[in-house]
Amino acid sequence: MRRAITIILLIVSITVPFIAFDVLPAIGDPASAPNTHVSDYYIEHAIEECNSPNMVTAVIVDYRAFDTMFETTVMFLAGLSVVIILANRPKSRIPAPASLKRLRDTSGNPVYRTVNKDVMISIIEPVILIYAMYVLFHGEISLGGGFQAGALIGMTYLLDIMVVGRKRPIFNLPKDNSAALAGIGPFIYALTGFISIIGGGLYLEYNKMPLPVHQAELHSLGITAVEIGVTIGVAGTIITILNALMERISFDDDND
Amino acid sequence: MTANIPVLVILLPLCSALPCLALTKVNRHLGNAVVKIACLGSFVLSVIQLTEVVKNGPIHYAIGNYAVPYGIELVIDSLNAVLLVAFSLIGILTLIFAGNFGDRKRPMMIAAANAEIALLITGLLGMTSTGDVFNLYVFLEITSLSAYCLISLGGSRGVVSAYRYMLVGTIAATFYLLGIGILYGATGTLNMGDMAKILNEGGHDNAMLVAMCFLIPAFGIKMALFPFHGWQPSAYAHAEPGSRPLITGVMGKVPALAMFRFFFCIYGTDFRFVRLSLILLGVFSVIGMLYGSIMAMGQSDIRKILAYSSVAQIGYISLGFAIGTPISLAGAFLHMLGHAFMKGGLFFCTGAIRYKYGTADIDNFGRIYKKMPLTCGLLVIASLSMIGIPPTVGFFSKWYLALGAAGRHEWIYIAVLVISSLLNAVYFFKLIEKVFIRQSAGLKERWKSEEFELPVSIILPVVVCFLAILGLGLFNVRIIDILLMTLEGVGL
Repeated sequence: MRRAITIILLIVSITVPFIAFDVLPAIGDPASAPNTHVSDYYIEHAIEECNSPNMVTAVIVDYRAFDTMFETTVMFLAGLSVVIILANRPKSRIPAPASLKRLRDTSGNPVYRTVNKDVMISIIEPVILIYAMYVLFHGEISLGGGFQAGALIGMTYLLDIMVVGRKRPIFNLPKDNSAALAGIGPFIYALTGFISIIGGGLYLEYNKMPLPVHQAELHSLGITAVEIGVTIGVAGTIITILNALMERISFDDDND
Repeated sequence: MTANIPVLVILLPLCSALPCLALTKVNRHLGNAVVKIACLGSFVLSVIQLTEVVKNGPIHYAIGNYAVPYGIELVIDSLNAVLLVAFSLIGILTLIFAGNFGDRKRPMMIAAANAEIALLITGLLGMTSTGDVFNLYVFLEITSLSAYCLISLGGSRGVVSAYRYMLVGTIAATFYLLGIGILYGATGTLNMGDMAKILNEGGHDNAMLVAMCFLIPAFGIKMALFPFHGWQPSAYAHAEPGSRPLITGVMGKVPALAMFRFFFCIYGTDFRFVRLSLILLGVFSVIGMLYGSIMAMGQSDIRKILAYSSVAQIGYISLGFAIGTPISLAGAFLHMLGHAFMKGGLFFCTGAIRYKYGTADIDNFGRIYKKMPLTCGLLVIASLSMIGIPPTVGFFSKWYLALGAAGRHEWIYIAVLVISSLLNAVYFFKLIEKVFIRQSAGLKERWKSEEFELPVSIILPVVVCFLAILGLGLFNVRIIDILLMTLEGVGL
């Protein structure tokens, strides 16, 4: 009962201010402050200044690229934290409870045993990887970008681990290497910013990069370099977290 | 290159932490060396930046060279230039100190822990120097995540306290996001200066009030202000010993700076409910100052004493905000600087004692001064500074706080300031008595070594903190002058 009162009190105290004071603008209101103050500028100048038809990408990795750099670092930080927290504890395998074992006898074969694993790995994974590259390099033109591409590459590795085939997986990354790789990704991002400092500009000012291409193309190059960094960082993080968990977990069908 | 100093101060620790693991794979000492050199570079650059700011006024650094409301901006005024120097100094000292704690047989673990500390430094320095409310949130995330990880490395109690801190800290981050979401809905901008300009045109009182209701608990939780401090004592006491000085010394101060930015720089004193929110803050800090001191008296583990004393000391800082005159704000910031070195220094001491004898119970500290003269010197000077005895920095910061309170005739605040200092005296003199007078407990050294007292990497932070506490006290007028360059005109 006391718990219920606390929860009700919490909900009321958070919802009442919003209802009573009506502080948020209506959804889609074209006259609201967020839609008039900076949005117009982004819509009118994104193509001309950033050479990027996708305005969302322009805002994320050009106008507010500094934020995205640290968001990628947050990914790396999360992966690193998972690894060292799990590695810090003594290795102990938690035995599956007896109730679960009894249940397993009656539950039949898992669905994934019916999948032909060799076909799966040989056909689907390369397609996913090609799609990831497409998403990565078309990020500044159409939908997509580094985070999605990284997630796709991480997914490939996850498939390799989950569906144990007779073939070797496409790539193999132990825990230490994958954590190092996850750090290299955001590092590429940060270095891209430093290139424009070398060219005499401010940090992440893409059109001051000392490269022999046209002014407009420099923004595309900068965005692509940054997206590659994000991709490597995200893929590395997903693989790192997966590796760290795999070391600690014993599956109930280990005798496979 | 000099134009880029504001961003380099933040980026050097980041760019060393990211490839740290890869470099350690190349050579087991390379990664750690790069991290240390980069953090040292960041400290040197922040000193250069301070001289620039004092000479030429505030620096505005637009990242990507985009005009102000469209891109992200770093703003370095005299206030955060001073804080950046102090925070990066404690950061590099902590990195040097942390090398003594950790399993030498697992170089990857040491490299990972160093990377976490460097990322914590990045987050703290970034939160100090940013001029964009969402960028502040991103840095807050980095700070919190690395802090959760470093706290959880301190053994099984550390894991539990880190989990508690994570639950509460996530709520704080969400509240902060809700608060700035409301402000964004009202103004349409994320830049602090631009937001202040739009809010001061008037007509946003309701939005500002609701946002303030979210922002006070958000920053309160992050700085461990009195009613929101529940996570703090166990987290500070059980964090990883190597990184503890940074976590205890700096992590609570940076959200306080952010709170100052929202209260006085963005909202300004024209805000209709400014009196109300300042009185609320004053009540929180007054109760916190008394509660923290009383709780600290009942503990016998030195780490818990210091952790509860932090609840009281954060109360002094927010009391300076609650009084709200330029001189009391300057006192609050001087206390922020001083307390970073005091609390950081005291945790360097406890780390040193733990390194040498493996104990944290003050009942075992009998006559320890004969074996560890330098460490006990810092222990004494930091304790005196906590109580507020001249010529240490603690006296002067409390003096300026009292001056500000007297200027606004807030006699209750002065009375509480005095009572809290007396309560501090009770438990810090208890500590000094244990160290100097009590019978020796016959502790055994954990390692046999030929060095004087302790390895250089522990002595160095201890000596620097000792000098900083005295130096900040002796040159307080100069520092107050630098702080007042920004604070004149801010406040009531």
